[in-house]
Amino acid sequence: MQPQLKSKVRCADRDVGEVSKVIMDPLSHEVSHLVVSMNGAGERQVPMGAVQTVSEDLVQLRPSSSEILGLPPFKRDDYVTLHEVEVPGLERHIHVTPGEVLVPFPELERNVKRRTFFANLTHVVSLFIGLPLVFPVLKFMMKPMYAPLDNGWLKIGNVGKVKADNSGTQFEYKRKIKEAYMPEAEIDKNVWLVRATPAVLEKVYQGKDMEFLDTDGKAIWTNKKDMPYLAFSGKCPHLGCAYKWRKHKVLGQVFLCPCHLSIYDASGQVLDGPAPRPLDLLPIQVSASGDVQIIDMEFKAGTKSQTRIV
Amino acid sequence: MSNTPSAGTQPTVAERVFDFVDERVGLKLLTAKMLNETVPGGSRWAYVFGSILLFIFIMQAVTGVLLMFYYVPTADHAYASTQYILHDVDYGWYLLSYHFWGSSAMVVCVFAHMSQVFLWGAYKKPRELIWVVGLALFALVMTFGFTGYLLPWDQRAYWATTVGVEIIDKVPLIGDFLARFLKGGATPGQMTLSRFFVIHVMVLPAALIGLAGLHLFLFRCAGPAGPFRGTPTELKAKTDYFFPRQIWKDMVGMAVVFACISVLAFWEPVVLLDEATPDPGDYHPEPEWYFLFIFQHLRLKMFSGQFGQFLASIALPGALGVMLLLLPFFDRNPERNIFKRPFALIGWVVLTASILLFTVSAIINRSYLD
Repeated sequence: MQPQLKSKVRCADRDVGEVSKVIMDPLSHEVSHLVVSMNGAGERQVPMGAVQTVSEDLVQLRPSSSEILGLPPFKRDDYVTLHEVEVPGLERHIHVTPGEVLVPFPELERNVKRRTFFANLTHVVSLFIGLPLVFPVLKFMMKPMYAPLDNGWLKIGNVGKVKADNSGTQFEYKRKIKEAYMPEAEIDKNVWLVRATPAVLEKVYQGKDMEFLDTDGKAIWTNKKDMPYLAFSGKCPHLGCAYKWRKHKVLGQVFLCPCHLSIYDASGQVLDGPAPRPLDLLPIQVSASGDVQIIDMEFKAGTKSQTRIV
Repeated sequence: MSNTPSAGTQPTVAERVFDFVDERVGLKLLTAKMLNETVPGGSRWAYVFGSILLFIFIMQAVTGVLLMFYYVPTADHAYASTQYILHDVDYGWYLLSYHFWGSSAMVVCVFAHMSQVFLWGAYKKPRELIWVVGLALFALVMTFGFTGYLLPWDQRAYWATTVGVEIIDKVPLIGDFLARFLKGGATPGQMTLSRFFVIHVMVLPAALIGLAGLHLFLFRCAGPAGPFRGTPTELKAKTDYFFPRQIWKDMVGMAVVFACISVLAFWEPVVLLDEATPDPGDYHPEPEWYFLFIFQHLRLKMFSGQFGQFLASIALPGALGVMLLLLPFFDRNPERNIFKRPFALIGWVVLTASILLFTVSAIINRSYLD
């Protein structure tokens, strides 16, 4: 049977102490040595070859007590417990608690410099693999995020449709969209046209022509301040819903957004509701025959300043 | 153990297979460890929500995978394939409706579970890490709901997502980048659908499985906190084991939740609105019910304007999230009895009541808009 922890250890001449730990060979799973606590005289590592008999609570050694005492002191640092190392199928071979079984700590592993080197090497290899991937993966994910803007003019109808001054008239039109690999699609869009009187135009332009710039600062178009036709983007600047020209109980004829009840007057100024800025104006051209063209732009919703996104 | 054959009888086939595996894997020990967890103070109905959440997640994963056999995540087929599931595939209406109501059930149970943990003070030392991981799981569940909602590509799906992503855009510094990343561009479209689909069916499930595993592991390390009343001796005297008493209660809970979701799936199956268009037309965008309380805050006058919107939709919920995260670290009072923690009790009541209030108010508001 295997020696039990805490069993008495007896040499040829007398009792010397008790078994405090067991050392196991990690390959054969056999107990290779006993660690004997020598009754206050430290611990000694005793090879199993010196064991004569093993019983339930006693281990009989062949050598004399002086020979055992003469062995070098037990070097605890040369070993680790089975808490620190995985040994498969242990239960079949060892019948002591894992904390009491020691396994030799491999010679090589004790070299701290070698461990640091390999740790560093692992980091270097990981960086070597990981770092070159960061940029391509980022660009991969970002491909569609900052597409160039389309500044083409679109025909949307004729001003003959506008019946009254300072009143909203909706112009619906289709815009061709080609997204990535998708087949070209046509989406329905709308703008609100207002034929503004000079007083209303003043409120909109505040005496200055409105310049539209591209992302690199180049001028795309300028809306002249005395051109009476205003084209408002069909998306409410609050969160992008489509708004309507409606009669309000108190405020009269207004642009009203059903989503969060933002209300604008004919000049696009905010009368009520959570809208952060007035209605967005679009570049507009009206030909001699009254045909209206606009550049279909979209602006970021919910911000005080106007930022173009489409 | 229930698996050992009684004396004098031949082992059954099941017992022999079990022994075969046990010899190689230590299955008996493993099963014992899993089932014989002590529940100090006895098993409780209040403790069932964690297991129920695991059950709901598994059901969502199963129904979700089944849906993927027919659903196509492209802008030109998403709506049609979803309608196909609903109308042409046998029991497709049930599986999709189960998946839909299951997500609501998950949010309700997450709230119940978090409330139970909070009220029982089970976030306090040594359980701080479980709470933190749990908050991450909560965020994952809400993100699941947000990403899944877009997939049918009807007006409701498209517009709730559009508004939601616009809100993310308001995050300072990185908001524009985040919103464009999620949308896959400046405006919602195919790129958005692809991204939301991948996030919903791969990224989030992987994250949830990992974090839920960690959550369970940490929970087993710390052990159940047990009731907040009773001396250690009293609790020890009333200790149950996970199997069978708590498992029994968990099973009943799961059965009840399954029945509720199935009944809802039967009585209120998913009905799609019109296919998504870039123009909302007459449709009033609205998020799913568990986001309604934030949605309603955005309507208040005090949160008008760009800063106000940022405050209501990002800053305040974000601050609440940070507070919850730091809760176990600044609440070091070991007292777990909720009736001796007035701030905690009042805080929970106020938060729950206001969430309920704003949710109901948003629902009532609908009739005013129409």
